[in-house]
Amino acid sequence: MKGTYLGEFEEVVLLAVAILAGEAYGASITNEIEHQMQRSVNLGAVHAALHRLEEKGLLASRLGGATAERGGRSKRFFTLTIAGTKALDHIREIRNRMWNAIPKPA
Amino acid sequence: MKEHIHPPKWATRLLHWFCGGHLVGDLEGDLLELFNQRVLAYGLREARRRYVHDVFSLMRPFAIKREPEKYPKPAFFHLAMIRNYLKTAFRNLAKHKMFSFINVMGLSAGMTACFLIALYVHFELSYDAFNKKADRIYRVSTDIRTNSETIHYSISPWAMASNMQSEFPEIETYARVQKDEMLFRRDDLKFYEDDALLADSTLFRVFDFKLLRGNPKTALVAPLSIVITENCARKYFGDSDPVGQTLLLGDESEPVTVTGLLQDLPVNSQIKGDIFLSMSTYTAHQDKTIEREWGSFGATAFVLLKPGADPVALEKKFPSFLQKYAGKMMAQQQMQIRMLLEPLRDIYLYSTRPAEESGNANNLYVFSAVALFIMLLACINFVNLTTARSVERAREVGVRKALGAAKNTLARQFLAESMLMCLIAFCISFILSALLIPFFNSLAGKSISEGIAHELPFVGIQLAAALMIGTLAGIYPAFVLSSFEPVKVLKGHLNTVSKGILLRKGLVTVQFTISISMIIATIIVYTQLDFMRSYELGFSKDQTLVIQSGTGRERDAFEASIMNLTGVKSASASSAVPGSWNPQAFSKVENKSGEMQAGNLDVYRVDFDFISQYGLKIVAGRAFSRRFTTDSTQSLIINETTAKMLGYASPEEAIGRKFEQWGRQGKIIGVVKDFHFKSLQETIKPLTFRVIDFWEGDLLSVKVDGKNVRQTLVAIEKQWKAMQPDKPFNYYFLDEFYDRQYRADERFEALFVNFAALTIFISCLGLLGLASYSTVQRTKEIGIRKVMGASAASIVGLLSRDFLQLVGLAFIIAAPVAWFAMDRWLGSFAYKTDISLWIFIAAALLSASVALATIGLQSIRAALMNPVKSLRSE
Repeated sequence: MKGTYLGEFEEVVLLAVAILAGEAYGASITNEIEHQMQRSVNLGAVHAALHRLEEKGLLASRLGGATAERGGRSKRFFTLTIAGTKALDHIREIRNRMWNAIPKPA
Repeated sequence: MKEHIHPPKWATRLLHWFCGGHLVGDLEGDLLELFNQRVLAYGLREARRRYVHDVFSLMRPFAIKREPEKYPKPAFFHLAMIRNYLKTAFRNLAKHKMFSFINVMGLSAGMTACFLIALYVHFELSYDAFNKKADRIYRVSTDIRTNSETIHYSISPWAMASNMQSEFPEIETYARVQKDEMLFRRDDLKFYEDDALLADSTLFRVFDFKLLRGNPKTALVAPLSIVITENCARKYFGDSDPVGQTLLLGDESEPVTVTGLLQDLPVNSQIKGDIFLSMSTYTAHQDKTIEREWGSFGATAFVLLKPGADPVALEKKFPSFLQKYAGKMMAQQQMQIRMLLEPLRDIYLYSTRPAEESGNANNLYVFSAVALFIMLLACINFVNLTTARSVERAREVGVRKALGAAKNTLARQFLAESMLMCLIAFCISFILSALLIPFFNSLAGKSISEGIAHELPFVGIQLAAALMIGTLAGIYPAFVLSSFEPVKVLKGHLNTVSKGILLRKGLVTVQFTISISMIIATIIVYTQLDFMRSYELGFSKDQTLVIQSGTGRERDAFEASIMNLTGVKSASASSAVPGSWNPQAFSKVENKSGEMQAGNLDVYRVDFDFISQYGLKIVAGRAFSRRFTTDSTQSLIINETTAKMLGYASPEEAIGRKFEQWGRQGKIIGVVKDFHFKSLQETIKPLTFRVIDFWEGDLLSVKVDGKNVRQTLVAIEKQWKAMQPDKPFNYYFLDEFYDRQYRADERFEALFVNFAALTIFISCLGLLGLASYSTVQRTKEIGIRKVMGASAASIVGLLSRDFLQLVGLAFIIAAPVAWFAMDRWLGSFAYKTDISLWIFIAAALLSASVALATIGLQSIRAALMNPVKSLRSE
């Protein structure tokens, strides 16, 4: 299934969009990831990932209104599509299955 | 304080530059938001650092991508559109016939000039390039230093080359050539061949001359064998096969066998010749000891180094080599020889040593500069005229824009127009060049090109250049015209006129600066040549016929027989005449301090009548005389320069001093006033006269009466044929012969005059266009002025003043530049004219009057126009 494979960073970005639930845009996503992962992230990397995810159909975006704190620039809000939600579920399922498969120490 | 808290502006600008328009707002917002947060969290420095970092991290394909257009975009080059461009371009050309004509004429004249100059420069640079081994071929030249002077020779001692080959393993082989005038005969055909050469058998190993018949390895080995060119073969043998046939050589009529047939040598070969006689004819047959002589200088030696050999390292070994072989001889004759290697390809253009034909790298620079200037002028015209017309086309641009034409589409349309113009100019220039090549060849004095069909690579470059000029010259007008704002233009509000006018004036000034410099340079070149031609040379060269008479009793008999002819005034035999080559002899002459000073002095071997016939003035002592029996073996006459060189304050002091020269010893009996026996490019050198031995003096100078030169000449020729049936009658007039030394300069002058005329022509075209345009612009103004009572003269003055001011400004810039350049040019002449004030005045008047004449017609027409008509127009 070429094209729908999720890279590690893409997964993180997708999760951040899910966490922010409706309030996800470039800067907030960057902050969220930095906060969650305790490391600094490039805005360019975040936007590149968002762009890719949108191309894959896992995210949708709409332009929001302008706000003063951004020098009057508008925000582009990202939300998960159904495919995006499914992709996250799918990954989680795989992870769970694999965790369960680890033999318990005796 | 708050103003300082902002991200680096350049990074924001960078973002705007690379980022697609549909993304930039959103991304900038994110960047700003993060920046503001980070200022609070980490401080300004860190926030700025990360801002820049983020901007760079955004340089990714997704961000650089442009937004897809909402409307379908027409293809970049749409056929219909191109057709439309061409159609409008042609219509515009046809509508403004005058402008188009001026533009195309100027451009094609410029292109043609450039093309021809490029051919010439390329030709000059291509000398000897046909030799595949050229980078390994070097000429071994020599400098000879004596107490008196240093002489720079291109020839070398006879013994040198063979010894070099055995001494230095780096040398693969060598070939010597020596140009000599030789007499060849076959039945009734007899010619003194100027283009005959003695050449080593290795000639064809070193140089790439193409042997059509015969074996290149053996053709020139045996004595008395010759290789001739096709041209020469036709002369002697017609269409029959020359190989194996014989010719008779020299006065002794020795039979020589043709062993090879050579393709005619390339024009751009330094070695020129029609007949190559084997070197062994001389070294093994006529003068068997010559190859052991170190003191005798003869042929020009070329060595072919082995691949990879280092010429600099080789040169370093020369002094010890010379010491080993020629040390004794040099000590005896009180002279030092220095040998040096000159790369074959550099000799023609850069070597200043004596050569049959040599180029001048400086002239090439001058011509390249002139070509560039001419092209520049033509381009300036183009830009000028096109922008001047922008007003007329402003409406068109407005309408096009209102109908939806984009800026770049319009720019492309104007570019297409200028390309079209350049292509038309290219076609015209192609035809012009093809027609002009023969004239150009004769102007340059050599066959630079056989015709345009042989120069296709150049034509290709020219085409590319034409397209490039079209683009470059078109860019500015295209940019200006396409950036008009439709609303303003259609309302008739135009302020571009005054904006462009400064540029146009500047360009016209540049053009006239170049033209005026060219005029000044041309006048100076002309005055210098005129100066040289009319310079008091110190001898009389008029009505003198020089006959190649041979030597000895035959000459004496001939001389005696023509003395009786009517029209012959006097005759004198000598081995050299002014302007011809003369040998230098190793001489020792007593100087002021009583020592025998050694040096190589120029020698004229003359008979008793020479000094009086040539009108040379004796300033001390006496001339040669038959009454003194010692004169023919023990007397020497010197010129003033020699006396000065020896340290004598007055010529009288030199009389009676001792001399030794070429086997003669005796006393100085006279001093002649200095005269110019070489061209005025050289200062007068020390010269000695001695009386000829009977086997010498093959030039017979005959002074004839100015009235019936032709008849006298016929009579002399008849006499010659009667007395010397086996020898051709060769003669020349001394004045023509002497002036031949200036032929290169005259060619330079001719080329210069032509190109100067061309630059002026092109500048005037530009001025004409501009003037006619500005009068058209001011039609109404002129009408109103006339109605108010202005006279025609005042209007002409009004219209001309502006342009004359520009010409004046150009003159102020041009005069010092031209003075500086020409002062340097004159520096290469030993005797030169002064750059006087009148030259500048003449140039100023000339350019002003040419400019006036150009503008005059336009302004007079405008001034005479009936104001009723001009005010009614529109």
